[in-house]
Amino acid sequence: MRYVKLPSENFGEFFNFLQRLGPTYGPVKEGKTHHFREVKGVSEMDLNYTRTMLPPKKFFVRPRERLFRLENGWWKEEDGERPFVLFGVHACDIHGLKILDKVYLSDPVDPYYSKRRQNAFIVGISCMPDEYCFCKSLGTHFAMDGFDLFLHELPDGWLVRIGSVRGHEVAWENEKLFEEVTDEDLRHFKEFEEKRANAFQKEIPQEGLADMLDLAYNSPVWKDYAEKCLACGNCNMVCPTCRCYEVCDSWVDAYSSVRERRYDSCFMESHGLVAGGHNFRPTRLDRFRHRYYCKSYFDPSSGFNCVGCGRWDEFCPAGIEHVKVLEEVRGSLR
Amino acid sequence: MTEKLKLGVFELTDCGGCALNLLFLYEKLFDLLEFYEIEEFHMATSLSGGGHYDVALVTGTVSTRRDLDLLKEARNRSEYLIALGTCATHGSVQGSVELPIKEKLKAVYGDEGNPMHALDPKPVVEYVAVDFALPGCPYDKREAFQALIDIAKGIEPVKKDYPVCIECKLNEYECVLVKKGLPCLGPITLGGCNAACIRSGLGCIGCRGPLPGEVNPASEYEILKSKGYDDEYIVRKFKTFARWEP
Repeated sequence: MRYVKLPSENFGEFFNFLQRLGPTYGPVKEGKTHHFREVKGVSEMDLNYTRTMLPPKKFFVRPRERLFRLENGWWKEEDGERPFVLFGVHACDIHGLKILDKVYLSDPVDPYYSKRRQNAFIVGISCMPDEYCFCKSLGTHFAMDGFDLFLHELPDGWLVRIGSVRGHEVAWENEKLFEEVTDEDLRHFKEFEEKRANAFQKEIPQEGLADMLDLAYNSPVWKDYAEKCLACGNCNMVCPTCRCYEVCDSWVDAYSSVRERRYDSCFMESHGLVAGGHNFRPTRLDRFRHRYYCKSYFDPSSGFNCVGCGRWDEFCPAGIEHVKVLEEVRGSLR
Repeated sequence: MTEKLKLGVFELTDCGGCALNLLFLYEKLFDLLEFYEIEEFHMATSLSGGGHYDVALVTGTVSTRRDLDLLKEARNRSEYLIALGTCATHGSVQGSVELPIKEKLKAVYGDEGNPMHALDPKPVVEYVAVDFALPGCPYDKREAFQALIDIAKGIEPVKKDYPVCIECKLNEYECVLVKKGLPCLGPITLGGCNAACIRSGLGCIGCRGPLPGEVNPASEYEILKSKGYDDEYIVRKFKTFARWEP
């Protein structure tokens, strides 16, 4: 992997170049939360953010989107997908996208997702954990791929890792903005990573997690938490790896309609309802437990579908903490 | 289309907003009129059908003998009856006053005389079977539009099954409960309003009534309590729109 250095004084010019690739979205602070929004300049962004409310997933699987329109008896695709830049994505969210790739890009490929994935130029950025982060224990705190460029904070600029052919092209085109990485820069990079590694306050012991859940299906802890859980679906909405969506048709006027999809939540009673009236998860307990099995049991090949971003803990109205629940479930086996 | 469906709009005791909200469909009204003719709607026509209705929309609570008679008339003469707005589906604010009618009359007027034949205000769903219930104070007019076109095309309208939080997050509004500590009933209230109150930075007041099914008011109560709201305040907030459940 090629490493180059972007000195602080060139940061603005580099950002301006990126804007030529397409509309650029970066982390913007609104009230007490951050969101990825379209930005026109560096000053609009808050690059010291910990997490956005909705993950960058929203650019690939939109919270709500029109798929096609029915007019005069014919379906018309809603088009208009263009290249765009996603600036300042954290390692956990890059891992989140890689997990979504396994779902949306494997057969049958989701054409909407795939088009947007190809159109995206992703610039990652280093971060410091807060009290909710537990990515380190899941190995998602560092991205080796899944980005075009990744910026690591240095005292006087950024150490840039180049992760794709397009990333190389951008670096070549802007050769004059970059410098060679010195030993001192590498030392700073290592220091930052060490400081970061020691800053985590939460961890989830991944070892034996699936086996533990295998044994703990009837743990009373699930029941206790299901009584606290509002089943409001907030955790699903903010999760970078939740991938369920609902498809609905609605009328635009008397004779035309649109097919739309939106994020769905496995906490809704109808989520496990199938034809004939059977419901796979009829109670809140079933649905609450299901989420943990979905994130930590069903699919070990996807790194267990959880990237430790901490969104669940931050945005759950009932204050339910993912790691704490799993720890208590583990404890109940002893 | 050879014959249009006959539509009746009946207003019981309410503020009038839910009936008026239909007129606020503006140009979309003409889309409805492609399939419907309005046989009865005191805000829109001087016709007063008295015949058969394919679809009847009923707004308001049953609060007087006249309301009850009108409701029964509407039910008996219609194929498909929609309880429209929270008064009709849950009783809304009128239904939240707990004293029996005689005591209420006495408290307000000083005697128990009841010249208007007032009844304890109750939602439409308490008296007749309804084919579809669309809550909201007022209901979302787009939802009513979808339901009416669905019915005209022979499709059973789909009920919402998710709380306010879902649309709130889809719209990326900042959570007022978690981030501002405002009393927000979003997690336990039926969605479909597109989180209108949270868009304005206010907590959900629960006007669409509780989410049907396994809703968890006990946990919501504990959450509000932990944010410093007292028992009475929380219970009143819970009961404002939905003392009567459909």
